[in-house]
Amino acid sequence: MKLLQRKDKQGRWAVSLLAVLFLLTPGTFVYGETPTQASTLAELIAMYDSSSCKECHEQIYEQWEKSHHARPLMGMDDWIFMASYLKRGPLAIKTGQKATKANFPCFKCHLPQIKHATDGVAAEIADAILKDDKPTVRKLNISCLVCHNEKAVVHGRPEKNVVYGNKDLPDHQGFPVKKSPLLKDSLMCGQCHGLGPNLEFETPVQCGTLYGSYLHAYIPSGGTQTCQECHMKNADHYMPPDFNKRDELSARLRESLPMEVQTLAYTFQPVEDKVFPMVVVKTKITSKAGHRIPDG
Amino acid sequence: MVLDVTANGPDGKKIFQTSRIYSAQATDSRSTQTALGPDKKLGLIRDTSIQPFAPKEETIEIPLPEGMKDAVIEVSLRYQPRPGNIYPIHKVVRNVSLDRTK
Repeated sequence: MKLLQRKDKQGRWAVSLLAVLFLLTPGTFVYGETPTQASTLAELIAMYDSSSCKECHEQIYEQWEKSHHARPLMGMDDWIFMASYLKRGPLAIKTGQKATKANFPCFKCHLPQIKHATDGVAAEIADAILKDDKPTVRKLNISCLVCHNEKAVVHGRPEKNVVYGNKDLPDHQGFPVKKSPLLKDSLMCGQCHGLGPNLEFETPVQCGTLYGSYLHAYIPSGGTQTCQECHMKNADHYMPPDFNKRDELSARLRESLPMEVQTLAYTFQPVEDKVFPMVVVKTKITSKAGHRIPDG
Repeated sequence: MVLDVTANGPDGKKIFQTSRIYSAQATDSRSTQTALGPDKKLGLIRDTSIQPFAPKEETIEIPLPEGMKDAVIEVSLRYQPRPGNIYPIHKVVRNVSLDRTK
């Protein structure tokens, strides 16, 4: 009996130790080649928690924290944009049913790690959204691990316990860094920033079409810059625009879309007995962007 | 993206107003009516957005009321993702006159 009690105590210690290790070492076993499915929202958040990156990459982390990637489920002015879709329309949760991943095609880009979670996690997220539980929803983000592991490789699956960067750093603290040329390619961003309708879902959706515009309008016209060259200058992870910083966005649009205006006041006399006093206004807006505006 | 062109008379009264909407437009692919919201949109049917390497030009003729020789022209460009949510971009105001002495 005493032996059983001791074993039970040891077992509980082992479980507690594993839980602590899980929390302190985010993402160690769950993303990568054969991802484990998170069965709770807390697990999913822990799997992609990148807060430990801040210890060495403070400036980049702080840039990211200010970006929309740090709050992909929060729309402009801090409202949870998915709430209205879950209440009405084709993605709404039916009465008496719990949400599943099928209610969240938006998560393909707004929370891509959902593919490593169960329908139960989707139900938990839906509950948090419908309760307007912003502290919980704010924890769901496009973290370092989403871009530097999950989305960093398109030829095959990313490796487990590796972060991808612009060069190999086998002795990098935490996980080794492997070089992925994709990180400097527009396709990196294009994975989420839109080609057109997403037809793979039961309820197809269409959000941003920006990458499609880049591929089919900017590139054919001779454009050569990458998304990163304009939106991540000097590797800035703030990645403007920020739609909550209204003056900053206005200024960015003003610079990207110069406008010329010509005016002419005159009296037009098309025939002998008729005159038409008028003003002719000519406008010309030029775009310096690598995609249509507006788009996302 | 919305371009507004207005003309006011010397007394400040509006004599002309027109707008152009620059945006990709989509339906739900089941009707001819455009849809709002990514949960309903599915496929573009028209695209008046501002394209790279393709200046967007407009020519707008504003008839002046009989006897009016002066007007104030205002041209503005704004980004408006939702009704009431406006990000001003450009605003150009010009005083124009048929009187060559001005």
